[in-house]
Amino acid sequence: MNQPIHQDQFVIGEGHAALSGMCELAPSTIYAALLTDDGFDIVHVSRTQTEASRFASMSSSIQALSDAVGHELRIGDSEYVIMGSAQGHVIQLRIPGQPIVLAALFQPHETLGKALSTARLTAERLAQRLPAAASAAMAAPNF
Amino acid sequence: MAEHVILFAGPMGAGKTTAIRSLSEIEVVSTEAANSERHVVDKATTTVALDYGEITLGDDDKVRLYGVPGQKRFDFMWAILKKRARGMIMLVNDDAPDAVQTMIEYLDDFRDLYERGGVIVGVSRTDLGVGPGLAAYSAALQAQRPDLIVPVFTVDPRDAGQMRTVLMTLIANIEMRAMLAPAAEAVAP
Repeated sequence: MNQPIHQDQFVIGEGHAALSGMCELAPSTIYAALLTDDGFDIVHVSRTQTEASRFASMSSSIQALSDAVGHELRIGDSEYVIMGSAQGHVIQLRIPGQPIVLAALFQPHETLGKALSTARLTAERLAQRLPAAASAAMAAPNF
Repeated sequence: MAEHVILFAGPMGAGKTTAIRSLSEIEVVSTEAANSERHVVDKATTTVALDYGEITLGDDDKVRLYGVPGQKRFDFMWAILKKRARGMIMLVNDDAPDAVQTMIEYLDDFRDLYERGGVIVGVSRTDLGVGPGLAAYSAALQAQRPDLIVPVFTVDPRDAGQMRTVLMTLIANIEMRAMLAPAAEAVAP
């Protein structure tokens, strides 16, 4: 049986490097995490007190719900999710070809455009570093 | 038209998504993700937010069916969805390790839903013959939670007829308790 992705040291190492690079590109990053589609924290970098496992579970639910909305409206899976609030912006998106979600919290003064482009660039770079996911691991979403 | 909101809860692999798919008259809204815990429950996907379906019972009872993720790490979804529910079908798979105690723990987690509505336990996968069997669940309830009146059934979540029977029993249970509640309050000291 394959090793769970959140315990794969190669994925964790590559993920940490990618998230650290993201923080350099966008110093407004407060928190960034990679999580499995089913809500396990793989790796995170943080400048705040955040319960990583709970954030991962919530991000997983939000990702799945946004996919369900996309399906309901017949517009396809969501490419990214943005949540804006007075204290910061949350952006999350899938790593292309992987059952992994990147979720990041940015300071409120950061422009959504820069936050989104930084997150996308990080996701694309990480996708190039990781081996193709097995088809079983990419079973979701399943309506 | 009367409306009911019923929750389907219980551990991963008990058949919650399957039960809602068996019952629903509409296309079920599912939030499935690739399952990283194949060593715990060997299935490809798992629910990470909710399942949603609908069924009409009789002429005028519309039932909204919500399934919650089985894993404790998604308990924020439990809190969100149980606020709007009136009752719960708790499914537990008989072949899971420590299934009886798992049932008790889930009932404790959803105790407030029992208090204001009603709960039924459905034990799945009893046909495999490897679990403790139906009597063990009833006995554990009587011994550990004697104040709860919770019917326990064996169910096959794939069987729409069985699930419909369980659902109608739950709704009758909820309505009966709601009718009796004022009388019980009147005789209370």
